[in-house]
Amino acid sequence: MSQTMIDVRNLTAAYGSLTALNGVNLTVAKGEIFGLLGPNGAGKTTLLANVEGLHKPKQGEVHVGGISVQTDAAAAKRQLGIQLQKTALLDDLTVAELVEVYAALYEVYLTSKEIDALLARFDLVEKRNTLARRLSGGQQQRLALAVAIANDPQIVLLDEPTSALDPHARRAVWDVIRQLHDEGRTIVLTTHSMEEAEALCGRIAIIDRGQIVACDTPSALIANLQLNSMLKATVELPLEQVRTLPEVSNARYTGQHLEVETARPEVTLTALHELAARSGRSIRDVMLRQPNLEDVFLKLTGHALAESN
Amino acid sequence: MKRFLILTKAMTLMHLRNGYVLFWNFAFPVLLMFIYGAIMSQFMDYMTPGVIVLNALSFGLVSSSTMMLEMREKSVLRRLQATPLPAGHLVGSYLLVNIIIGILQSTLIIATGALLYKVPVSAASLLLAYPMILAGLLAFMALGGIISGAVAKSGAASAIGMTVYFSLMFISDMIFPLDMLPGWLQNVVPYLPAYPVTQLVRSALLDASLDANWVSHFVLLVTYGAGAMLIAAKLFRWEPKA
Ligand SMILES: Nc1ncnc2c1ncn2[C@@H]1O[C@H](COP(=O)(O)OP(=O)(O)O)[C@@H](O)[C@H]1O
Ligand SMILES: [Mg+2]
Repeated sequence: MSQTMIDVRNLTAAYGSLTALNGVNLTVAKGEIFGLLGPNGAGKTTLLANVEGLHKPKQGEVHVGGISVQTDAAAAKRQLGIQLQKTALLDDLTVAELVEVYAALYEVYLTSKEIDALLARFDLVEKRNTLARRLSGGQQQRLALAVAIANDPQIVLLDEPTSALDPHARRAVWDVIRQLHDEGRTIVLTTHSMEEAEALCGRIAIIDRGQIVACDTPSALIANLQLNSMLKATVELPLEQVRTLPEVSNARYTGQHLEVETARPEVTLTALHELAARSGRSIRDVMLRQPNLEDVFLKLTGHALAESN
Repeated sequence: MKRFLILTKAMTLMHLRNGYVLFWNFAFPVLLMFIYGAIMSQFMDYMTPGVIVLNALSFGLVSSSTMMLEMREKSVLRRLQATPLPAGHLVGSYLLVNIIIGILQSTLIIATGALLYKVPVSAASLLLAYPMILAGLLAFMALGGIISGAVAKSGAASAIGMTVYFSLMFISDMIFPLDMLPGWLQNVVPYLPAYPVTQLVRSALLDASLDANWVSHFVLLVTYGAGAMLIAAKLFRWEPKA
């Protein structure tokens, strides 16, 4: 069993009378990329804030690297590299100055060589003497990541690291996150993008209305719910015959398109071809939509992941 | 210690690179001296200590907290709170930079008064005046800290700070002598925080001596300063009020 880096036990957190997290349990092991997936307002930022020692829980306990955030906040904070959802760094400092200052706040003192090496990883060397507020959105996001690991933390917490970025900048940030992971760091990131969660995360906790409703690898989350794939094809066949094909749970027409829900699309497709051949029909435009995290979310919570964005 | 120095250097750079900070902190006080010098050049002995204190008052109540409030509003403070930096270091570093700015402002005003308006200053008067100015600055900054902590938005903080500043400025013997005020006000003003500073700075700067009532001025000032610091520390917030 690998080492537990983050341990959240029975965490309940509130803002006044509003309960933002309700009895959350979570462990993250060393070297994971762990995703918190949920819509806006689900409690992702609040969960991270409690891990970061920025919010005092009403109940429960959080340990990072074996240190209690509640009883030894300063030592716990030293374990962490942090990028907040709403990141504002010190205004009117240059890129290099910012990295130097934030490392120093952790009592890590970087030489200018080390600063340049760090900036190079984030493609920011040419910007080293530029004021941070003059950077583009993507550059600022990369700077926030550079600042997050300036203290060389083993645990990195990223709150919606790509939410405001265009697809190109987004992929650049994904690459950086994968690099941090390759170095053996433990990463927790929040996202409301299913695509991002699937692309990056080894394990995912689905969070909704302050509770974790499921936690597993993306493929296990999908497999465990035994959600069906959707087979679409343009073909004219009687629905009652289609419904009797192996593994089919449902079938319907939308316009010209036959839509077949199936647990095992490869089996169903073969049978569908045979049925078409026997009936003297031809099948065109076959499409397969496999269940994804979006469907998992819908099934578990009763509402869509994207609706509250 | 190294951490504190790097942080303080960063705070200094942030202040020096900010055009508003530069204008309001360094150009404005000198401009003020030119204006008073132009309209009442024969009273500049009386006015110069008055301008020092009114400048310290507006700086303490309003300008000195501007950058802190901005950092709070933009979530910069929250990001700093996520580091192991103790709050005391952050506040200490910020105060240090602002005290130095406040002292520099007073120096500019004194230099303008001495060079342009022949205000008589000596080594002895300066030696005595600077500690008085420093004491005033600390008390005014602590009062400003209460406003920053109590108020949700930086706009409201500067509005309240300006109101307090203007009220105190006109009645605290800075530009109008006390006997020009109505009788009842003359009895109240000596107990307000700015008046003792005006008396202490004026007699130090002009006569190189302590004001006749310096003990009671000091007691009052320390009471205000220490009380305000305690309250300001209690009210200190990393985040803007929702
Ligand atoms: N500072 C705050 N004061 C009051 N309520 C808050 C505050 N921050 C978040 N909330 C509320 O707590 C809930 C969870 O918010 P948050 O953790 O920010 O969700 P997420 O990051 O998943 O979007 C929401 O209902 C939000 O409105
Ligand atoms: Mg959030």
